[in-house]
Amino acid sequence: MVQFHEQIIAELIEEPPNGSGLVILSSGLSLPKLISSLLLLHSPSQGTLLLLYPSSPALKSQILHHHNHHNRISEISSELPAHQRLSLYSSGSVFFITARILIVDLLNSKIPTSAIAGLVILTAHSLSETSTEAFIVRIFRSLNRDAYVRAFSDKPHSMVSGFSKAERIMKCLCIRKLHLWPRFHVYVSQELEKEAPEVVDIRVPMAKHMVAIQKAILEVMDGCLKEMRKTNKVDVEDLTVENGLFKSFDEIVRRQLDPIWHTLGKKTKQLVFDLKTLRKLLDYLVRYDAVTYLKYLDTLRVSESYRSVWMFAESSYKIFELAKKRVYRFVASDGSKLTSPSKSSTSKKRKLKGTADDNENKKVGGSSSVNPNVSIVLDEVLEEAPKWKVLREVLEEIEEERQKQALSSEELVRDKEDDSGIVLVACKDERSCIQLEQCITNGPRKVMQQEWENYLLNKVQLRDLQTRFKKKPKEPKGFGILDGVVPVSPAKNVEPSSINKQEHDALVAAASEIKKRLKNENVGVDPQPEASGQGGGRGKQRVKNKKETPNNCKNSGNNDNKSSVKATLDGSSSENNDNEVDPAAAGGFSEATCHVASTDKVVLRRHVQVPEATASGSANKPIPPAYFYALESGQPILDILKPSVIIVYHPDMTFVREIEVHKAENPSKKVKVYFLFYEDSTEVQKFEASIRRENGAFESLIRQKSLMMIPVDQEANYLGLNSSVEAQGTSSQNSITRKAGGRKEVEKEMQVIVDMREFMSSLPNVLHQKGMRIIPVTLEVGDYILSPSICVERKSIQDLFMSFTSGRLYHQVEMMVRYYKIPVLLIEFSQDKSFSFQSATDIGDDVTPTNVISKLSLLVLHFPRLRIIWSRSLHATAEIFAALKANQDEPDEAKAMRVGVPSEEGIIDDDVRAENFNTSAVEFLRRLPGVNDSNYRAIMDGCKSLSELALLPVERLAELMGGQKAARTLREFLDAKYPTLL
Amino acid sequence: SSSSSTQNRNAILVSHRQKGNPLLKHIRNVRWVFADIVCDYLLGQGSCALYLSLRYHLLHPDYLYYRIRELQKNFKLRVVLCHADVEDVVKPLLEVTKTALLHDCTLLCGWSLEECGRYLETIKVYENKSADIIQGQMDTDYLSRLNHALTTVRHVNKTDVVTLGTTFGSLSHIMDASMEDLARCPGIGERKVKRLHDTFHEPFKRAV
Repeated sequence: MVQFHEQIIAELIEEPPNGSGLVILSSGLSLPKLISSLLLLHSPSQGTLLLLYPSSPALKSQILHHHNHHNRISEISSELPAHQRLSLYSSGSVFFITARILIVDLLNSKIPTSAIAGLVILTAHSLSETSTEAFIVRIFRSLNRDAYVRAFSDKPHSMVSGFSKAERIMKCLCIRKLHLWPRFHVYVSQELEKEAPEVVDIRVPMAKHMVAIQKAILEVMDGCLKEMRKTNKVDVEDLTVENGLFKSFDEIVRRQLDPIWHTLGKKTKQLVFDLKTLRKLLDYLVRYDAVTYLKYLDTLRVSESYRSVWMFAESSYKIFELAKKRVYRFVASDGSKLTSPSKSSTSKKRKLKGTADDNENKKVGGSSSVNPNVSIVLDEVLEEAPKWKVLREVLEEIEEERQKQALSSEELVRDKEDDSGIVLVACKDERSCIQLEQCITNGPRKVMQQEWENYLLNKVQLRDLQTRFKKKPKEPKGFGILDGVVPVSPAKNVEPSSINKQEHDALVAAASEIKKRLKNENVGVDPQPEASGQGGGRGKQRVKNKKETPNNCKNSGNNDNKSSVKATLDGSSSENNDNEVDPAAAGGFSEATCHVASTDKVVLRRHVQVPEATASGSANKPIPPAYFYALESGQPILDILKPSVIIVYHPDMTFVREIEVHKAENPSKKVKVYFLFYEDSTEVQKFEASIRRENGAFESLIRQKSLMMIPVDQEANYLGLNSSVEAQGTSSQNSITRKAGGRKEVEKEMQVIVDMREFMSSLPNVLHQKGMRIIPVTLEVGDYILSPSICVERKSIQDLFMSFTSGRLYHQVEMMVRYYKIPVLLIEFSQDKSFSFQSATDIGDDVTPTNVISKLSLLVLHFPRLRIIWSRSLHATAEIFAALKANQDEPDEAKAMRVGVPSEEGIIDDDVRAENFNTSAVEFLRRLPGVNDSNYRAIMDGCKSLSELALLPVERLAELMGGQKAARTLREFLDAKYPTLL
Repeated sequence: SSSSSTQNRNAILVSHRQKGNPLLKHIRNVRWVFADIVCDYLLGQGSCALYLSLRYHLLHPDYLYYRIRELQKNFKLRVVLCHADVEDVVKPLLEVTKTALLHDCTLLCGWSLEECGRYLETIKVYENKSADIIQGQMDTDYLSRLNHALTTVRHVNKTDVVTLGTTFGSLSHIMDASMEDLARCPGIGERKVKRLHDTFHEPFKRAV
């Protein structure tokens, strides 16, 4: 445990009256560890401690990991029966609990609140006044004043979004004290810098094309931003390219634009979307290899070419062009292989550009027209990511140093205690992990080759699907190449030797692949055809490899060393971590070649490594085994592996902090950290900006803290909040005074029955704020029961669209109409989004069945009794509910629960039709083919029951159903032989 | 005159009160004619609509109530078509919602005249349309139709459908099966047997 954690906890706990507080710390300062140490202080005598389920599973699993050595934390979820939950609540231990079940139990008074020591909320930044957590705290506080509420957040920048967010969160949690622990806090920095790890900062220059692409993207981004400013719809201040690098940029823009989103033109919307795409492009530039990057660009072009604005900008053209240059280029085969950027070849490039995207026609034209004069050849550039080389060098250097040490002294043995010798490479995502691992084992060249082959194959498949007929004209030419011409046979000879690992499979597979191969050759390799000159040799050979890819794919499973690694990996991780890491996580960090993580087997690992490296022929110098870890997987990797060398391949602020904390916890341990940055890249910019941004957030929080007005009496605070809302409510009603008078009286008693599933939404909370009693039950029909006759089905806009498509809404309304006098559909708009269905341009000229207007009209036509509420916001909904309840009786809980649920005899209470009809039989009948709204009544008149219907001949059916066709459809369906499983 | 009445049946009848309403310009997909009617728009045999601009409502808060009262009980579907043409909708919309809801009217909101016009057109055009498009895409193959029908019986799931299908061979045999035969099916418990049997053998209409 680090000292500043102790201080944080001490300060938090000592805070009078009961140690409630909101703690905000810098990201990476190990919130999970802090929580688990806090949990250690808990003793059952204090009462039960409830941790609200964090939304990120990684946070939870890390807390569990750190907590592991003691008793495990169990979970309370809706699966547990009520009585079991009750006994857990009074047991005095620590539990994870979902917000939904906690609020339901609180409202139903199923929790002995005096037995609860406190609540811990782990993601304070995601709270708001209307969130369920706030609801929980409000109810909880009213029942138990002594328990503490502790909220935590390690995302300071999201604590400052919006107007005095921290203060509002504290108010809704009834917390008075704000604890701020930035990285620059004196205790924190002292401790972390005392034994700071040794850091080597390596700036890798980007390849020439990468720089150019980056520049082009930034130019386009700038252009888009300028364009956006012109719209006059957004606050310009925040719109900088630097901000544009962050995800939160979207949030800034969306927050500004959402309320007026429906008034925006298509172009502005597209700009917002484009900026997002461009940000991704920047990010992928340093993360993906050249081929994958090109692939991504290609898909972009296919998927959004006709819509996007940026795609047609001058610089965008450059992006595509340069991305392609990193992968391949064309040269004339007449000798001028490398120095061919003459006029003729550039013009060819143009033409062939058409080929690269999906213009097949151009391709045919292009290649054949060029062909007679000079044949052209595809030259693969396959630029490797500069960092790859550097990574290898770093690894080699580490190994060299190690060996030197090993030779020079025996001390190493003693050092081993601290020095695990483990090398950890941290990169952003799983994909990079796998790729880097292959890079190290197989050599970068091979990785690129494989990516390239996949790329080409993909294109072939695309083409195959798109234009089958175009294969034909190409085929004869393809045969020509393969049959007579020189370069083919050498290529075939080269092939098995270059891929020595799959020799035996390759031979077997080759025969069966030939057909496929031909096809691939003919259709797929767009730029490669008709190579007959001497320059073709090189290109040819490469392309040959491509055909191996199907084999490669298959064989990668058989590949001994790889599969063994996988197997041992699983074993080792479970052994080391006491099954803490689930299988998915185990896949999270992949090993290069090694077997086990424990220190005593280091030597063994090295033995495996060395021959492997030489065998692959890609490197001569030995390199140490390395672990690869994806930052996204969110595992407590440092504590599991305890690495002594960490290579941060993709710099990330949070991870850097984690390293610092880890080092501070283990001061005696030597840790060396390498950072790999691309020089002058947005990667550096982004890293630095993220630190600046966090500091800025803390500074603003510190300012806010000094100005904060937190009432001393928490209870008064929450009551006050209520009454102010009330006052507002009544004042808006003042225009109709007689109703307002009536309402006041009812208010005391007002209750609403709410379906359990509705506690995911904020409406119950707001209704409660309004002073209504909330009764949570499981409802079969409807979401809210306002009175014995009013039943409401709530739909947010998104839900509405979805449930129209699925037919769910129709069914729900049908049920409501059946059981309630006033069935209501509540269409709830979001407060901060625009109040409209669609912008005027989406309406179109004709009545189309897909438009929501059509669907809603149809619903209204079929259920004329259905009432519709259009609500601007949650608060408006609450007001409407109150107004509707004014002259109505209170709903009956027991009755509401029974609605729609058949009793033992299958008879449904209160079903207006049930007394007269066998409802399930009618329902069944109506779903049979051929039966429709107009003829089902006649059928019911004509025959007594379904069993009778089953025996009616088709002629009689035709009489009843008023048509031969429908009758035949039904009869055929009834008699259709059920398809047997054999 | 009979031809004009059939023509009028396919047109939206518009009250003379609505003369000059710019909304009329946006009814283009359906014919409309002026007529002497109580409601603002007559959209079909049993359906009518009242048009209300929120701006107008703010000036004349009682207007809607009186118009609704005039309608009496003559229509099955009574639409209040509300044009949300003010900035701050919450309060007026609350009042309109309440009036419409408590007086048996269906409230539809449009944010532009185009949208309002489209509602009128659509209700007219879809007058006799089935609800298929909002009942969800149902697969038309035999098995999904069978599933669709049999799962109306409460607690019968897809596995049970397979069991029933393979045991009895066809739907008509299932529908005619005896209690004992149903009970012999694996996985179909006492309650399900009773429910299934009741569904098939109890008469559609109960003797009162």
